[in-house]
Amino acid sequence: MPDFKAEVRQSIAELDLPPEREAEIVEELSQDLEERFEKALSEGASKEEAKQLALQELVEPDSLSAQLKPVKMPSRPPSPAIGANKTRQRFAGFLDDIRFGVRMLRKQPGFAVVAILTLGIGISASAAMLSLVHDVLLRPLPYAHSDRLYAIWASSESTGQTKVAASGPDFEDYLDQNRSFVHLAEYIPRFTFTWTGDGEPKLVTCTSVSQDFFPMLGIRPFLGRLYEPREYTYLENDTLLVSYNFWKNQLSGDPHVIGRVIHFEGVSETIVGVLPPLSDLFPDTDVWPKHTVRPSWPYMKWRGNKFLRAMGELKPGVTPVMAEEDLTAILRRVPEEPRDVQVHLVPLKEDLVGNVRMPLYATLGAAALILVVACINVAALLLARMVKREGEIAIRLSLGASLPRIAQQLVTESMLLSAIGCTVGLLIGWSVLRLLARVPNLPLPRMDSVHLNAPALLATIAIATAITIFFGWISSVGFSRLNLFSALRPHGLEITGRRGLSLALLITGEVACSVVVTVTVCLLIHSFWRVIHVDPGFQPQSLLRVYLRTNYYTEKGRAFWKGVLTETASLPGVRHVALSDWRPGRDTATATFVFDDRPNDPTRLPSGEGSWVSDDFFRTIVTPLIAGRLFTEHDDDKAPAVAIINDEAARRFWPGQNPIGKHIGVNYTGPGRRSEAAPRLREIVGVVGNIRHDSLDAPAAPAIYLPYLQDETNHDMATMSLFVRADGNAMALVDSVRARIHAVEPNQPVQNIQNVADLVSQSVATRRYTLVLVGTFAAVGLLLAAVGVYGVISYVTSQRAREFGIRIALGATRGRVVSHVLRRSAILTAFGSVVGVVGSLFLTRWFSSLLFEVSPLDPFSFSAAVTILALVSIGASLLPAWRAARVDPIIAMQSE
Amino acid sequence: MAIQLTDRELKKGSAELLILSLLEDRPRHGYEIGQLIELRSRGALRFSVASFYPLLYRLETRGWIRGRWVEKTGQRRRRYYRLTRAGKKILATQRDGWHEFVEAVGRITGIEYA
Repeated sequence: MPDFKAEVRQSIAELDLPPEREAEIVEELSQDLEERFEKALSEGASKEEAKQLALQELVEPDSLSAQLKPVKMPSRPPSPAIGANKTRQRFAGFLDDIRFGVRMLRKQPGFAVVAILTLGIGISASAAMLSLVHDVLLRPLPYAHSDRLYAIWASSESTGQTKVAASGPDFEDYLDQNRSFVHLAEYIPRFTFTWTGDGEPKLVTCTSVSQDFFPMLGIRPFLGRLYEPREYTYLENDTLLVSYNFWKNQLSGDPHVIGRVIHFEGVSETIVGVLPPLSDLFPDTDVWPKHTVRPSWPYMKWRGNKFLRAMGELKPGVTPVMAEEDLTAILRRVPEEPRDVQVHLVPLKEDLVGNVRMPLYATLGAAALILVVACINVAALLLARMVKREGEIAIRLSLGASLPRIAQQLVTESMLLSAIGCTVGLLIGWSVLRLLARVPNLPLPRMDSVHLNAPALLATIAIATAITIFFGWISSVGFSRLNLFSALRPHGLEITGRRGLSLALLITGEVACSVVVTVTVCLLIHSFWRVIHVDPGFQPQSLLRVYLRTNYYTEKGRAFWKGVLTETASLPGVRHVALSDWRPGRDTATATFVFDDRPNDPTRLPSGEGSWVSDDFFRTIVTPLIAGRLFTEHDDDKAPAVAIINDEAARRFWPGQNPIGKHIGVNYTGPGRRSEAAPRLREIVGVVGNIRHDSLDAPAAPAIYLPYLQDETNHDMATMSLFVRADGNAMALVDSVRARIHAVEPNQPVQNIQNVADLVSQSVATRRYTLVLVGTFAAVGLLLAAVGVYGVISYVTSQRAREFGIRIALGATRGRVVSHVLRRSAILTAFGSVVGVVGSLFLTRWFSSLLFEVSPLDPFSFSAAVTILALVSIGASLLPAWRAARVDPIIAMQSE
Repeated sequence: MAIQLTDRELKKGSAELLILSLLEDRPRHGYEIGQLIELRSRGALRFSVASFYPLLYRLETRGWIRGRWVEKTGQRRRRYYRLTRAGKKILATQRDGWHEFVEAVGRITGIEYA
């Protein structure tokens, strides 16, 4: 017997196997060779021939060691780590994978472009919205102790007031009695002053602040100095701080501006400092006048005159709840306050940005869903592509590549894809944010400091990693159980079984996510439609509003207003003119009411909106008279005091009665009131329709209108506007109106001439922008869903071309083939829609505060969304269905 | 993607099925498997030691079969292979796939197999 052991050992020596494994192989193979040797002998071969025959087995068709090399040896112990060498090998493999991945992407540029763009769009939406949410809502205010800064509001359930500011006495009480705050400050944001004597008169926006304001926030001057403490006590001094923007734009960034004198309302003020840019804090403020907490002005001394905004910095260790109890106790000691008055602390940041929270979160949610849809789309594309690559993978497996090696390749490829997608996404997101920052009048605070930020980048990296793992998994799913036979056979590429199910699940998920976003948009559209169809109670079209900051208490003031009314009324094209302190689309001054036909509890006086108007007001803005009469030119300071109320006030205060002839007294609150005389009783002479004073989506409140000539309160800071009703295009009158006003008073600034229709539409700007953003995402989502459905259906039908060919050959009409394909997509869409509708039922409740007179379960919006999705998905399947129906049976059969 | 099946690949792919099938009823050693393939295919299929054992080891590495040294009295010890649970599943699917393949070939070539 020849020594086959030695032969075998020699032929596998180069493999460098562990000794025990080598011994096993040698034993097993040499036994085999011995059997063959003996068999050959028994069949009549010579010893030498038999030996040659047996040894031939070790080299045919390839050497034994070459054949054994790719096989992982089961009993081989883990190879000792050789450090750098091994790492380099692995790294080289990784580079090879990347190179191979790039080649695969370039081989199918269509797939690569669609996948990368899809991912890019999804990631950009999420990255941009995450940045917005972070910078607008989450980023702390850039001030010292910003986590301890709170705005102070009061509420009372019994009077129905939810957000009451402070009066001068309230604030003095807080200041003297509190035990919770390091600093307390009050401020009046955004009122206007006239800047005269430096060229053409201009209106400037002021925010006046009390002594602790700047120290509390730790704000340091950009140029010059802040106010000194004594300057807050003696207001006769004439110093002024200006904002960075005002200094830059109006004072041309003059570095020697300190000491310069400018004139406000006839008073000379010396600029002592320029503040740094304050993007979080009333960024439209031009000048920051000082404001004393212990002034001599009477209107600061009235308890009910609640117009001061208050804020404070909590002492370390004091919780907001403790401070609320502290301040509530202080306020409840005041006899005039309602017994159930309650003080609330709102984190300052939330106070400044609060009303955009829901819209931003809803938009972020939509963006996240778009990312999911995008990922699903790419996953479906990959899966379909993997089916095509099954043959390639099967060959590599059969040639000895290990499964982990194949998986590594696939994960590297998906990593490449998601890395490129992320880069594209971040680029798009960055540009979108840059564009957003330039949109004028965007109702978002802190917008100028928004940029693609670290948390968004980190989140994107996390998302990219997750996508990589997900796609890698999607790609290798099925390969672990790859069946070489079915993969290698020519018809093995049909989408059936597990993979077909995975594709169907992905498309169902995609449709479901799109349904959720589309339902959201339909709800928002429905709400928006409701809002813009709200009857505002007046006609905003062809109506101009001219803001003129001149009061009417002096003889001169009254003469000015009278002159303006007469001059502008005589302009051609002008139908009516009127005055009012009403600012359409802005908060209206509140008033409290007393009556002579019932007991009045001073702590529970009903409140409503109040406006001073001239006699032609209702004719000018076109509000219907319901009962009684409108004001006339005879309702002046010499005539008996009269008032007109709105329908809501009539309904609430005199239900079932005629309010005409009843009497009402009006405490008119607000800054600058000069007289504390008890309100005189006025006779109600008319009832008019409800006017939406603030914004279209605010409910109608009781309102009272008083002739401005009968104003006994003398508002120092009353902000009167001229309203001009035009015959046609109101904006055409702007120049002539300005000229007429200047004819009356050359020094009167007339910057602010606005179309009231624009003001009204601005009052729903947040709504509109939310709708536009979420709508854009929904459109993208629908597009992606269409691409996904199209891709999968056309892939599936192309794989079944042969089957369709047979069907057609056997007599199926083309119509039947089309309906067969459409049915498949209809089933997927139906499943997706059901899942999406169920998801929406749960999700839409979250943002019911964004809706207006529309239920979060609005059947109209739900059915509209489902219909849209169905149309999109059927539409996306039409082309593949048409293609399937045009299959030539002969070609289809031959092509395989 | 068109797949060019070389003789070798076809053989290797089908060899897996053959090995698994032969181990279905009972464990066998390598030489026996090789001989049975040759015998039952009436000499049409034959594997050399150099390609057969690596294939066997690969199946073992995948966990489809498991080899064990068995000593019988009066004989030297031999390595017997038996089908694992995973191997049984693979065998079932591969067998289906093979039938489909054969049928498909039959449909195209017009040859009927019993």
